[in-house]
Amino acid sequence: MTEFNAVLKRAFAEAPEPVDDGFSARVSVAVAGRERLAKVHALLLNVGAAIAGLAVFYGLYVFATAFGQDFMASAGLEVARAHGALSGSATSWSAPAQSMLTSVGAVMTQVLLVMAALAGGAVAYRAAQD
Amino acid sequence: MAARGFLNLAQAAEATLIVAAQAKDQAAFNELVKRRQGWARALLRRMCNNAAEADDLAQEAFIKAWERLRDLETPAAFPGWFRRIAVTTFLMAKRRQKAVFEEIDDASPIASEESTPEAAAGAKIDLERALARLSDAERLCVTLNHGEGLSHSEIVDMTGLPLGTVKSHVLRGTDKLRRMLEAA
Repeated sequence: MTEFNAVLKRAFAEAPEPVDDGFSARVSVAVAGRERLAKVHALLLNVGAAIAGLAVFYGLYVFATAFGQDFMASAGLEVARAHGALSGSATSWSAPAQSMLTSVGAVMTQVLLVMAALAGGAVAYRAAQD
Repeated sequence: MAARGFLNLAQAAEATLIVAAQAKDQAAFNELVKRRQGWARALLRRMCNNAAEADDLAQEAFIKAWERLRDLETPAAFPGWFRRIAVTTFLMAKRRQKAVFEEIDDASPIASEESTPEAAAGAKIDLERALARLSDAERLCVTLNHGEGLSHSEIVDMTGLPLGTVKSHVLRGTDKLRRMLEAA
């Protein structure tokens, strides 16, 4: 068997290989086509990511114009109350704390909406990258 | 293209072409395909026993190689790396065609007879015709073992077939080829 194995190996080594009858040209065309497709794919991904970013930005802008003033007013009011309480003018902590919790509760929906929008945008971006 | 500079592709070493192709130089990759197409197509033709199908698979393998070339760590590893891609492409095509490699019609080992010195010494095998008479699995294992010089364990690693199955296919395939040669 060993001698035959040597004969077999020699036969494999000496067997003629196919001549290039346009095969490499066909591969070249196919590779160029793949590259063009990859470029288009990358371009579409970038455009999609840009559109998604703009959509998120526009959503935040609309949200800020709708609720921004209320939010800032609430925050400013709470800062003022906290400042008053800390400076010793308030006699009781319970009333300001109660009021602050109410304000936080009122803006919590908006905060959660912003967080959800940001998370959704991040997920969409990640999916586009994949 | 920047990686190539003024490189003369026709005279460049294969390692240089591979490095340039890794930098997405299509001309360098085309030159690499020109140099390796004979080997790749011969390998796949032996495994497939169908020239047209083998050429399609070779083209598919080269395209995969182009897309994954950056994964290749050293240019010297290209032949083995590409061989693995070619074999995997072949196996995937066979799986799509529902070909079964694991089953052996007769698992009993074939007696390893000694070949006659006359047959072994001067015989010239019509390799393609002889390989065509083997089963798909035998042809694959014999080609990788005798043609590509891979060990049984390397074939196991590349094909995912059990070691015993690979050994059986190599032994049976080689034995069939020997009998064909003796009968000729």
